[in-house]
Amino acid sequence: MKHVIIIGGGIAGMQCACTLAEKGIATTIIEKDSDLGGKIRSWHVLFPTFTPADQVLSAVRHRLAKAESVTIKTGCEAVKITPKCVTLSTGEELTCDAVVIATGFTLFDARLKEEYGYGIYDNVVTSVDLEQMFNKGEVRLTSGLTPRRIAILHCVGSRDEKVCQRHCSKVCCVTGVKQAIELKKMFPAADVFNFYMDIRMFGPGYEEMYREAQLMHNVHFVRGRISEVSPTIDGRLQIKAEDTLTGRPLKMGIDMLVLLIGMRSNDMNPTLEAESGLKCQPSGFMQPKDSFLGNVESPIEGIFYAGAVTAPKNIGESINEGTAAALAAAEWINK
Amino acid sequence: MTFFAKFCIPFIIGTVFLFAVVLIKYLTWLRDLPKSDLKLIIRGIPTPRTLAAVWEVVCESLLHRRIFRVNPMLGYMHMSLAFGWFLLIAVGWIETVAYLGLRWVPLQGHVFFKYFVPLNGITEHKPLFDFAMDALLLFVLSGVGLAWFKRMRSRALGMKRTTKHILFDRIALSALWCIFPVRLLAESITAAIYGGGSFLTGGIGSGLASIMSVNTLTLLYEPIWWLYSIALGTFFVAMPFSRYMHIFTEIPLIFLRHYRLKPEDKEKSYDNFEVEACSRCGICIDPCQLQLQLGINDVQSVYFLRDRRYNMLQQKIANNCLMCGRCEQTCPVGINLNTLRLNSRTSMRNIPNEGRYNYLRGLDRSQGEGQVGYFAGCMTLLTPNTMTSMQRIFEAAHEKVWWADKEGGVCCGRPLRLTGETDSAQKMVDYNKALFAKHNITTLVTSCPICLRVLRDEYNLEGIEVLHHSEYILRLMRQGRLRVRYSSELSFTYHDPCELGRGSGIYDEPRAVIEAIGQLLEPEHNRKNAFCCGSSVANTAINDAQQLTIAQHVAAELDSTGAETVVTACPQCKKAIVRGSKRQVMDLSEIVAQNLR
Repeated sequence: MKHVIIIGGGIAGMQCACTLAEKGIATTIIEKDSDLGGKIRSWHVLFPTFTPADQVLSAVRHRLAKAESVTIKTGCEAVKITPKCVTLSTGEELTCDAVVIATGFTLFDARLKEEYGYGIYDNVVTSVDLEQMFNKGEVRLTSGLTPRRIAILHCVGSRDEKVCQRHCSKVCCVTGVKQAIELKKMFPAADVFNFYMDIRMFGPGYEEMYREAQLMHNVHFVRGRISEVSPTIDGRLQIKAEDTLTGRPLKMGIDMLVLLIGMRSNDMNPTLEAESGLKCQPSGFMQPKDSFLGNVESPIEGIFYAGAVTAPKNIGESINEGTAAALAAAEWINK
Repeated sequence: MTFFAKFCIPFIIGTVFLFAVVLIKYLTWLRDLPKSDLKLIIRGIPTPRTLAAVWEVVCESLLHRRIFRVNPMLGYMHMSLAFGWFLLIAVGWIETVAYLGLRWVPLQGHVFFKYFVPLNGITEHKPLFDFAMDALLLFVLSGVGLAWFKRMRSRALGMKRTTKHILFDRIALSALWCIFPVRLLAESITAAIYGGGSFLTGGIGSGLASIMSVNTLTLLYEPIWWLYSIALGTFFVAMPFSRYMHIFTEIPLIFLRHYRLKPEDKEKSYDNFEVEACSRCGICIDPCQLQLQLGINDVQSVYFLRDRRYNMLQQKIANNCLMCGRCEQTCPVGINLNTLRLNSRTSMRNIPNEGRYNYLRGLDRSQGEGQVGYFAGCMTLLTPNTMTSMQRIFEAAHEKVWWADKEGGVCCGRPLRLTGETDSAQKMVDYNKALFAKHNITTLVTSCPICLRVLRDEYNLEGIEVLHHSEYILRLMRQGRLRVRYSSELSFTYHDPCELGRGSGIYDEPRAVIEAIGQLLEPEHNRKNAFCCGSSVANTAINDAQQLTIAQHVAAELDSTGAETVVTACPQCKKAIVRGSKRQVMDLSEIVAQNLR
């Protein structure tokens, strides 16, 4: 029986394993965490349909559970990858007929933008923290009170040369709109402001959701980045920004600041380049063989990519790439 | 004896021209000096400073002590040329006096003495003089040889890069290189025909006599002396327009410096002395990080001064400098490179917008009360960990603090000064000065070295002591008001910020604070030789990617010390290094606040 190793057990890797199993190919998933699922485990509901993330993950999990010849190795990482062999951090060497790299992305560390005060001031949270609060069903200030004015800041660690992240993380804009609507549903009396550079609504239904946020939920959108945040004596936060549409600087007292942190490339990507002969893009994400005709293929035959390892992607795109990489790998093996 | 021959004409023309031009230059520059500078000179002349200046002229213009310190080989090269040539002239003069007694001899009589009085045995001391002159000529020739060698292989002399010279410099340089070999030939041929000369010219002379007939030698005799005169004349004509103007300019410069003249915010006549004292030796090129890490080769101080001297300075050159001071540190002439660049920028950029700063009137966002004021500065407001750490330190020391700009204040003015907008910067200086005076503080602490520079140098805060937070924290620790935990497990490395180290001379205080908390591991380039983080507000020409490249170089060196934490004492440096370092990067105040006891 042919054997494919999938590195990364996020949504793309899982989908890939399901598809390969259905084609009668054995797979091994290498996952560094203790459980499969990846980032989607932390998400609450998915844009633009507000489908619970758990629902999507459960469906894939269910399919994977039914699949045959799937081996799952958690708590270990791949250190060296060739099309025929993968060396694990445990020292174990696994032979195979093809490899799919589905290692995804790393969240930007908001503490690198020190001026926003993440980890320094109370009530400065990231979009990921907020998803987890939504999952717990409770959004509260550290004082225990409910927030009355919330600012959501876009592009934290995206499109920002100062922190070496020039690329657009693509999904934060729509996440900001989605979270603003969720917050408004939770606290109808609260004011929610989105501070943005550009609003990029790239997917179906996104633009409509953006419109809905303004018309139905009265979410405010201010074009301008927040320059700095400071605490006030009464325990709130003061933000400084510029409304670039009116050309005026503004200061605002808020209760909570949500930082829409971007997707950055994994620290291991340069190692892949050095050790395995793969190629990184200037953004640090892996370079597929061709942007049109070889999206899930690497420059090395027998190594394939799936999901956000090659660029920021949303859940649907990642799942599709899982399928596409599986098909490409199966075709290559059976050639 | 008339002491004149036709071949002397090029030399005479050159000499007269040289002294006329130099004189005109000096008189014009002195005439244009501001009254205050003239007063300083007049008051300075009858004081011991004049003697000190004379001594420095000997040490620097002749012996080149400072270059020796930077690079002994280059020091020897410069000394052999300058001091050797000077001794040739001096001993030559003594020789004429010994021969003719004290009487007036025209200049060419001294210079071409061997031509006019070639015969040996005229006085009993002649062999002694011949020997001395030959030895000195050899001394100078060794310098010329080194100079040739340096052109071909500068690395062998410890210089990775040398200056790219303009046409006039090349002409002057070629002439200078010809002078002494031609002189050697001329004197040797003279010795071959008439005898005389010592081990060098005499030796070569007898060698020539053995392979050439007297007729050939006689045929060569006049042309070779012509050549020597032409080489001298060419050099002298090119000299005042070339880099060799430094030979004379350094002398008045040394005197003026001893009389306390210095360059200021705005260009003035005194700057001419500094600008033309640059010998374009190119020692400033190697330390420049723009060259070292970015490969930018046309903006260094040597090129800046050259362009400024010939009135062809462009903004893109003037603006492309980190003002880190690494070159100023090594300049053998001690030129105030940063100040000159600043006042050039001021001349190009200083157009104050009168209305822009009206909002400053009556503004006061400060809070708290106390004898000690804290001025965070704009960059510290962007690194709030430093601010909160300072707050904890103040609380731990039970210090009552007046916070000048916690809620946002007015910039110290230094970034604008660095871009050349001196008059706009002054409006901020005036505003902040009035604010400090209004709140009756006696000590002003800042955690930003950029602010520190201007607060100390330009604010003239009478009755207020300005301290960098590293100095303040150390003082608190020494007074026993602040106690920190020591752990040998903690290891730190320290990055010297330019404005704090080279700019303000503060090297030891931050180190003392770090060593009270844990182990300090020094990077390869530290203290006076420390690298700039690359994000200097003084450089408005390089882009972010270039800043990042420098930061990565610097961070790699800091990381390679093996220390777990990189410490710096400047918010700007912190932000820069954090981008390149794989370790945690912290401000000095943060490690203190974390280890309070």
